[in-house]
Amino acid sequence: MSTALWIAVAVSAIGTLLMRVVPFLWMQRRLNSESGLNNMPQWLGILGPLMIAAVLGVSIVPVNPSAVSWIATAIGLSVTLLVWSRVRSLGWPVAAGVAVFGIVEVAAFIW
Amino acid sequence: MSQAASHSPVRSALQGVREAIPLLGGYIPVALSFGLVATQAGFSTLEATAISALIYAGASQFLFVGMIATGAPLWLVVAMTLLINVRHVVYGPNLAGLLPRSRHWPWLMHGLTDQVFALALTRLPQLPEVKRFSWFLGASLLAWGAWIIGTAVGATAGEAFTARWPLLGEIMPFALPALFLTMVAPRFTDKRWAVAMGCTILAALCLTLVGWGNVAIPLAAACGALCFYSTQFYTQRFATNRRRES
Repeated sequence: MSTALWIAVAVSAIGTLLMRVVPFLWMQRRLNSESGLNNMPQWLGILGPLMIAAVLGVSIVPVNPSAVSWIATAIGLSVTLLVWSRVRSLGWPVAAGVAVFGIVEVAAFIW
Repeated sequence: MSQAASHSPVRSALQGVREAIPLLGGYIPVALSFGLVATQAGFSTLEATAISALIYAGASQFLFVGMIATGAPLWLVVAMTLLINVRHVVYGPNLAGLLPRSRHWPWLMHGLTDQVFALALTRLPQLPEVKRFSWFLGASLLAWGAWIIGTAVGATAGEAFTARWPLLGEIMPFALPALFLTMVAPRFTDKRWAVAMGCTILAALCLTLVGWGNVAIPLAAACGALCFYSTQFYTQRFATNRRRES
């Protein structure tokens, strides 16, 4: 890799890091200031959970989209939701969802 | 005994590690693919691993090596990489009130990816304040380490790995939607949140399907926010009309 390419990697890395760090530190300072700006803007509090929903939407698309993988996704998500409604935790619903998704994929592969 | 006195940083960090394990189901296959794609684009194992360690942002890394491989000008490669990562600017402020002040944040925030943010925003409010720093450290370091190791393995043995276990690369990434579903599910008890969340998920799904995956997250979240405020506006207007009628 040439020097120019390493510089491109470094600039991209520093730029990405700054986008993660600067708004965080700015908000921490704002929340702890005595200027009266102690609350986080309402829109930001709404955008946070919506970002998680957006990441969910993006990750729902199977690696290799096909009828089988979409059916496996629907079944896997239903099982995840079902287990979550019973246990209300993160670990078991994910494990159950992945296991069922895998069983459907493997079964379809064998047949 | 007070909460602070009984707190063990190592135990909190290990709790973070344990709770971040489901993220690996998504991280490892994508990291393996990145290592493979980067070597196919002409990067060495060391270079691919360095890109993963330094930039540490999945979608933009694929774009970075893809554009370099096609001979795009470097300034454009950097500009596009940063443009894709702009969505990260809203993650930090959302966590600012949940995490204690520390001089370590300038380097620790390097671990604030989409997935780590989602996990932290869900879990941190449920943890005692003294545990949060160590929890974030454990969770983010595990994710970062898995991303780097996955890239190195993908660059050295990616082709053999995917040939031997073709289905594993399809099954493991399902851990991500399953995990995110358990994170958004509690919000569906509120009607307005349910509408906004549903709209966001659908928009992100559609944008990804039409090939706009790189901008799907901020665009879909903006759609959801619009939906959230429209529903509020509609509810208020409906209530005002009913009051007038009665």
